[in-house]
Amino acid sequence: MPRLFLVDSSPSQQAPPGDEAGRDAVDEPIDIPPDQQAPSSRDAGRDDRLRGLVDGYIDFVARVLRNAGTPQADIDDEVQRTFIIAARRLDDVRVGSEKSFLLQTALNVAAHARRTIARRREVASENAPEAFDARATPEQLTDQKRVRHLLDRILDQMGSDLRTVFVLYEFEEMNMSEIAEVLCIPSGTVASRLRRARVEFRARVGMIEGLSKAERDQ
Amino acid sequence: MSEPPRLLDDSESATEKALLHAGRSYRSGRETRAKTLAALGIASSTAVVAASGSAAASSSFAKLTGAKLLVAVSAVGAVSLAPLAYHSFHKAEKDRATAAVLSARLPAVEPAGPVAKAPPPVAPPATTKAGPPVAARPAVRAAEPVSLAQELAALDAARATMARGDAQGALLLLDGYARTCPQGRLRLEAELLRIDALARSGQTEAARRRAETFLRHHPGSVLAARARSFTEPRGGRDD
Repeated sequence: MPRLFLVDSSPSQQAPPGDEAGRDAVDEPIDIPPDQQAPSSRDAGRDDRLRGLVDGYIDFVARVLRNAGTPQADIDDEVQRTFIIAARRLDDVRVGSEKSFLLQTALNVAAHARRTIARRREVASENAPEAFDARATPEQLTDQKRVRHLLDRILDQMGSDLRTVFVLYEFEEMNMSEIAEVLCIPSGTVASRLRRARVEFRARVGMIEGLSKAERDQ
Repeated sequence: MSEPPRLLDDSESATEKALLHAGRSYRSGRETRAKTLAALGIASSTAVVAASGSAAASSSFAKLTGAKLLVAVSAVGAVSLAPLAYHSFHKAEKDRATAAVLSARLPAVEPAGPVAKAPPPVAPPATTKAGPPVAARPAVRAAEPVSLAQELAALDAARATMARGDAQGALLLLDGYARTCPQGRLRLEAELLRIDALARSGQTEAARRRAETFLRHHPGSVLAARARSFTEPRGGRDD
């Protein structure tokens, strides 16, 4: 299998992204040693590398976070959280494997954000945005906010396993081998999840289109 | 393994295409980038300006350099925008000259001792002592909203000053930022810088109190861990 994302296989590298241990790590305080916080005691090379990560990958990180279920209102915080984790682990991230590290960390952070949302929803009463979705006509869908809201609703109804594969394949345009490697699952599982995710996606879009058409015909 | 075509390339449904395009085209905002750089302590106005090509605020900042910035500063109030002018020079000598001007206009930084009563987390500075009280001055407000890039530049200037070992100079600049941008978008980052500067200038108790206040008001902030490091007893930190 080609290693397009060079994930460092050292133990310290394996912890944060993707797995349960890494997910738990997000809950812990992020203790950046003071000598790593102040420019006076940080070497310029480290700053340059960090700045390069932000400049090169901030859109990627934000997009992964958003499509993986992080609410828009939390994006700023979660992007910062992702890069702070990256800063803390910078010395463990091999040159060339930064994107993979950030991806796995972002997925991990997004999973944490989704759990927080789920807890909030347990408390809050369910609203009924389905009605909003169903009434959206193709014309209305040109409105970016409505489209984004509708996409969120569709993705939210997918299981997180299917959603992650769908997002990485359809939005990040990663190939199946890359996805398998990042998620540490067999390629066959990726293909299977993608198939099921697409069926779900198309079924929901079809339902919305059908409802919209029925409403227009009335 | 054969790769199926992407849905966006394969779909004939306008709705499906619109949805898939929305997922693929999501981008972070300028503010997200600025906050991230500030949280990492590598804020750089040049990076922000260069990276946000479409940003109106950034482009206006790019135009507002050097002499133009000074004109703007004098029009708005030298004290209130001094940190911004300060940063535009990027030279130690001019930094020092500007700091001298600031020192002359602002009360001296309290050398040590606690901050009386816990201040609000991002309140105007508690580092300056009575003198002619800051509150007695007419509040100097920017005539125009301060752009995000300008806020970032102000913090950059304070951080650079602190990096040169001039923590009190950094506090003066942060005082200026707090007056200019009391509701600044980077005020939490500024508060963390202030706490750091207080600690570095020997005002560890004041730093600890502000850090505790910060944590009380923003326990879930991504900056909370950094604030927490200032609440540890002496010896718990490296500096």
